[in-house]
Amino acid sequence: MVDVANEVQKQVREKRPFTVMTVLKNRWFLYAVSVAAFFLIWDRVAIARVFSSGLPRPYEVVLQLWSMMFDPLAGKSLLGHVWASTQRILIGFAIASLVAVPLGLMMALNRYVNAIVKPLFDLLKPMPPIAWISIAILWFGIGETSKVFIIVIGTFVPCLLNAYNGVRLVEPELYDVIRMLGGNRRNEIIDVCFPAAFPAIFAGLQISLSIAWTCVLAAELVSARSGLGFIIILGMNLSRPAMIVGGMVIIALVAWGMTLLVTGLEKLVCPWKREIEGL
Amino acid sequence: MAYEYVQVKTPLVLRLLPVLSIVLFFGAWQLVVDWGIVPSTMLASPIQVFQLFLVKWTEVNPDGGLLSQHIWTSVQEAFIGYLLSLLVGIPLGLAMGWFVVVEGLARPFFEMIRPIPPIAWIPLTIFWFGIGLEGKVFIIFLGGIVPCVINSYVGVRMTNPTLIQMARTYGATDWQIFRQICIPSALPMVFGALQIALALCWTCLVGAELLAADSGLGFLITMGRRLALPDMVLLGMIMVGLTGAVIGVIIDYFEKKLLAGIRR
Repeated sequence: MVDVANEVQKQVREKRPFTVMTVLKNRWFLYAVSVAAFFLIWDRVAIARVFSSGLPRPYEVVLQLWSMMFDPLAGKSLLGHVWASTQRILIGFAIASLVAVPLGLMMALNRYVNAIVKPLFDLLKPMPPIAWISIAILWFGIGETSKVFIIVIGTFVPCLLNAYNGVRLVEPELYDVIRMLGGNRRNEIIDVCFPAAFPAIFAGLQISLSIAWTCVLAAELVSARSGLGFIIILGMNLSRPAMIVGGMVIIALVAWGMTLLVTGLEKLVCPWKREIEGL
Repeated sequence: MAYEYVQVKTPLVLRLLPVLSIVLFFGAWQLVVDWGIVPSTMLASPIQVFQLFLVKWTEVNPDGGLLSQHIWTSVQEAFIGYLLSLLVGIPLGLAMGWFVVVEGLARPFFEMIRPIPPIAWIPLTIFWFGIGLEGKVFIIFLGGIVPCVINSYVGVRMTNPTLIQMARTYGATDWQIFRQICIPSALPMVFGALQIALALCWTCLVGAELLAADSGLGFLITMGRRLALPDMVLLGMIMVGLTGAVIGVIIDYFEKKLLAGIRR
């Protein structure tokens, strides 16, 4: 059998000679072309002044970032601003997940808690967190508290919803198994419910993180004296597009790094999660 | 052994608690303002908000627009942006799922744009388009396109490989397989994107209007803050939530109709 398989493989390989077309259809080659084309078109568009002076050339952005690394902007270097935003996210995210996840679990496990909290939650859910910015500023001023408040509001919803749905969608067969093995309600909750709901809870935390990122930017755009949102709004006020685009590049890099970190963490803490193929 | 029909009754307490919790919420809100625990410059009572809601249909001041005008502006922007993101995002995602060349060319571009929250584009769009309709539509478009592309792509990728192999055996061309097998099998996923994209579009809209607008619900909120009128801020927030929920219900209705046609 092995010989036959090898024979087939050999034939298949021989049928695919190394030609121009195979190179053109190679995925990595296309990726490289795409990235190169992206920067080339960006450069051309910037030189042609399609958006008048609204689009800097890529190398201007790099220069701008380089200078921001060392020259402090509003009292902070670039890394200081990154840290300012990250700090807000971490505080808001920690508060929201510490309150929302237990609340969601309780709602799913206890009908009375559910009956009290669910209607309120459904009432407040459709309001986008960004709509809360104005009232947060009225309540807490433009300091750190209002930004953390926005992040808490934004991250609360997915944390709670995922914890709630995670528990409710646990397969009933698993409960049957632990009951048959002689487990009581306590065993049901601790040994079945939590591990089975954990991937969903973690997915909720992941969604929360990206929402927190959007919220902190929006809050900083409206009013702030530090952070990445502040950099891009400052670039707008000073009419320096290189600063805006530089800020956006940093935002993309930080968000990308965070996603990588969380995905890595997920593999570490819940390896029993079923892989879903995706983008 | 015959099964007995057991009627599960919800206890009266469980049916009353939701009502009670809503009533308590609004009652506490009203009393907190009435008793002056929270200053009236920071929070308006539900009754005040409702009064303003009734007045705003006919009163233009102080923000220079009727409530219906603000709602219309917002809905219009959201609708155009949403439609554009569907029209571009879904075909792009479907093509990325099937054609290697499209995927190879579009994916790095997409992955570079994706991590930037649409809100972060606002300053740049103000530079490019000013504070008119185009800028906001662009931001809403950016917000809506991401889930459209992802869901369509995953939908095509999840096509049952047996069906594709069968079609190959019968001598179908790549294009035929794509049109007659991959697209129909991806459709449920694609329709799933409609709701996600809508929610994102609506959030982006509010963000865009907070910063760059001269009418719209987000603008109403901002004006309320600038003039220190908490009732106007709250009215804006409630209208945003309400309008978003109504649009969500409409899209949900269409989604069900479309899906009913697929699952024969």
